[in-house]
Amino acid sequence: MKKRGKGIACIFYGTGYGNGFPDVSRAYAELQPDGKVAIYTGATEVGQGAKTALSQIPAEVLGLTVDDIIFINEDTSITPDAGTAAATRQTYNTGNAIKMAAEELKKELINIAVKELGLNSDAGLEMKDGKIYLKILPDKCITLAQIAAKQSEPLRTFATFTAQTVQIDPETGQGAPYWPYTFSACAVEVEVDTETGQVEIIKAAHAQDVGRAINPKMIEGQMEGGFAMAMGYVLYEDLGLENGRIWNNKLSTYIIPTAMDMPEIQNIIVEDPESTAPYGAKGIGEPVMIPVGPAILNAIYDAVGVRMTEIPVTPMKLLQAIREKEKQGA
Amino acid sequence: MSFNVIGKSVIRVDGLAKVTGKAVYPQDIYMDGMLYGKTLRSTVPHAYFTLDTSKAEKIEGVVRIFTAKDVPGHNAHGVLFKDHEVFCAQKVRRIGDPLAFVVATSEKIAQKAVEAIEVKYEELPAVFDPVEAMKDEIKVHDGTSNIIYHYKLRKGNIEEGFAKSHVVVENVYKTSMVDHAFLQPEAGIAYVEEDGTIVVCAATQYPHFDQLEIAEAMGVPAEKVKVINPAVGGAFGGREDITLQIHLAIAAVATGGPVKAVYSREESFVAHSKRHPEIIKIKTGADKEGKLLALEAEIIADTGAYASWAINVTRKSGIHVTGPYVIPNVKVDAYAVYTNNPFCGAMRGFGATQVPIATEQQMDMLAEKLGISPVEIRLKNAFTKGSETANGQILTESVPLITCIKKVADALEMA
Amino acid sequence: MKKISLTVNGKLYQVEVEEDMRLLDLLRDKLGFTGVKEGCSEGECGACSVIMDGKLVTSCLIMAFQAEGKEIITIEGLQKEDGTLHPIQQAFLEEGAVQCGFCTPAMVLAAKALLDKNPHPTDEEIKEGISGNLCRCTGYAKIVSSVKKAAEYLNKGGK
Ligand code: FES
Ligand code: FES
Repeated sequence: MKKRGKGIACIFYGTGYGNGFPDVSRAYAELQPDGKVAIYTGATEVGQGAKTALSQIPAEVLGLTVDDIIFINEDTSITPDAGTAAATRQTYNTGNAIKMAAEELKKELINIAVKELGLNSDAGLEMKDGKIYLKILPDKCITLAQIAAKQSEPLRTFATFTAQTVQIDPETGQGAPYWPYTFSACAVEVEVDTETGQVEIIKAAHAQDVGRAINPKMIEGQMEGGFAMAMGYVLYEDLGLENGRIWNNKLSTYIIPTAMDMPEIQNIIVEDPESTAPYGAKGIGEPVMIPVGPAILNAIYDAVGVRMTEIPVTPMKLLQAIREKEKQGA
Repeated sequence: MSFNVIGKSVIRVDGLAKVTGKAVYPQDIYMDGMLYGKTLRSTVPHAYFTLDTSKAEKIEGVVRIFTAKDVPGHNAHGVLFKDHEVFCAQKVRRIGDPLAFVVATSEKIAQKAVEAIEVKYEELPAVFDPVEAMKDEIKVHDGTSNIIYHYKLRKGNIEEGFAKSHVVVENVYKTSMVDHAFLQPEAGIAYVEEDGTIVVCAATQYPHFDQLEIAEAMGVPAEKVKVINPAVGGAFGGREDITLQIHLAIAAVATGGPVKAVYSREESFVAHSKRHPEIIKIKTGADKEGKLLALEAEIIADTGAYASWAINVTRKSGIHVTGPYVIPNVKVDAYAVYTNNPFCGAMRGFGATQVPIATEQQMDMLAEKLGISPVEIRLKNAFTKGSETANGQILTESVPLITCIKKVADALEMA
Repeated sequence: MKKISLTVNGKLYQVEVEEDMRLLDLLRDKLGFTGVKEGCSEGECGACSVIMDGKLVTSCLIMAFQAEGKEIITIEGLQKEDGTLHPIQQAFLEEGAVQCGFCTPAMVLAAKALLDKNPHPTDEEIKEGISGNLCRCTGYAKIVSSVKKAAEYLNKGGK
């Protein structure tokens, strides 16, 4: 028999290294001869989209497009340390450092423009599309490339951002271990085959607090990827560990979700900007995964009335639990 | 506020290279005259061992075989404790510990030589159950307790909280050890530049930290090491710890390089960290209306043979086991424990992924006992702006949890 | 050693291959088509997929000598000389179907093999068509929608 059930779960997630450990990101912003701006930072692109999101931030600051930002992050000898691409910290931490470096560069560029254009002040100056101009008299205008040409050395700014957390008391745990926190919730509907123990996810809704969305499509991509990884975690993945040996050490035996396993997911991006974050944006790479697993487990209970306290819930385990329950009921 | 670029789904800046197949992952780098490296790894979980490389060395095409004695600096690495050895010197603590690195003119020869190295093990009793390990009868690392961290949270008075509770549920949950299974297996290439700078090109999450770890193991100042981090084929926490970076650096310096290594999927499984499996004993109590009054939890996280991020992961479990709820009385003890299992470290969610498997099922059980819906019990207890966490931290802003709950509940027509 | 000839992306190659050399190694190590990826070496992940005589195959399971006389398409063969992307590549970019990108070249080829045969696939057919290709990053949703979009582009006579 096939039985359906629904489940919900919600979570909070503290981002960053946390616990008072210095969580530092650094970045350079540098004007290029052609008026583009290079960002140098040690933040890794692991596929999460750091390069893109962290290019959108300085582009916004400087009135440029992402194509005008040259993002350099691959070489330790020319980039400053920006911490690890983990702990959901790059958007917030390195995002802040880059934003500060870009703002600093903007200030310098404006000061140069004031001088070069022979103005009395920076009031009413606008920086857009690679130009700085006076809004009330647009002919008073200088391009970033022109400014670059006038420099004997490349114009370069540097910024450091350090997140604020407070170490917890070792006896009571009191402190401020993380900041910021991100929130999410997930609801799923499953169908359990009581003959086989197979769980199919029929549909799902997944809501993620992002502070502010920098790139909605990339956020959705993270949410969908997190969903799949969580499905694998609670339903399939098993190393087959026995006396310290991993028996399932191949992709033919260590099963991860395929396209066929994926339900239709309704992604809901929830915005509530965080004042200490770059444009209010918080990281989401990890939290997107977390509520999905327990939502599935709660849906399984709703469907067949068994509590699965051990994951993964393989068909065999679930079938056993269902049989057990039937025995008790009989 | 209106934005020009923020909030726009601009196309990924690294997308074009990736859809055209031009993105360069470390395995895609080929250099003239490059040599190939293969790692010999332990096949038993706990043992003293000796190596005889003499037969392997004689195989034609084998350039050199590196072992613990060839590490020029510290034979150690690790993100928190330096408890990993670059190559085990005398003792292995898990299946998969690196013992030697063979460098040869081809991958095939290197593989053949790895198989020709004779390893003699003097096996030691091993411990795989973290609860057993907590007794410290078998020590995974000499001279240290297997319990490497104890997180404690004490808030309010849980006895009182449970006494006042109308409903209480108590259960034990177990989560599993799993792998990141990023699609790109570990690979790298190392060489030495004219001025003596050691260049290691490998997929990593934190190039600047790798730089320090390579420098320490090589016994050179950090400026003498350059890490190049090309396209990375997924990470999810599994590229936080060193795998082949130091082996390649040692081999490149000794042979003049370049030296390349690519792990098979099987080797990838044993080479990098795993997600900590946890045993979560949890008791939750609520009043008649469904307001949470008390939570008590004990968490045991098995970190396997090495600490990696165990302390931070376990702390994160301890902090997040409350769920996103206001609870006046909380007691949590979370332990990170060494065993002879594969080592565990960072993986997406980092300790906060395990605990909701327990916490969130507890919530539904309480709701069922009280005859209220899962949505309702969450809305009643959820953090809002100004809430205080069990750690005493005030959530001053950006707390749209209720919105998240309501939106997904609406979408699936859950009341 | 054996001498074989094969066509890759429209170009004829004559190469010497060892008996135990896989097509994957021939393409990557010998011919430099590094867009072909290796993720598992056992036919499970699909990252090494190429199109051989019109069919999607996992090149880790095929010996190089078996490619004698075959016509092979790799990801490197999709972009036009003038830089124009194939509609599938374009759709992948626009829809955000790429994250780490390691699965992407083969995923694009899987989509091509599917659309060449079935120009109007349903979502289910798309999922089936790419089910031999694992992706650990995206959860597949955006890949499925890009294949849909690519189908539209192609049906409109290319973009
Ligand atoms: S490498 Fe061929 S299918 Fe995975
Ligand atoms: S994008 Fe990373 S595996 Fe598909």
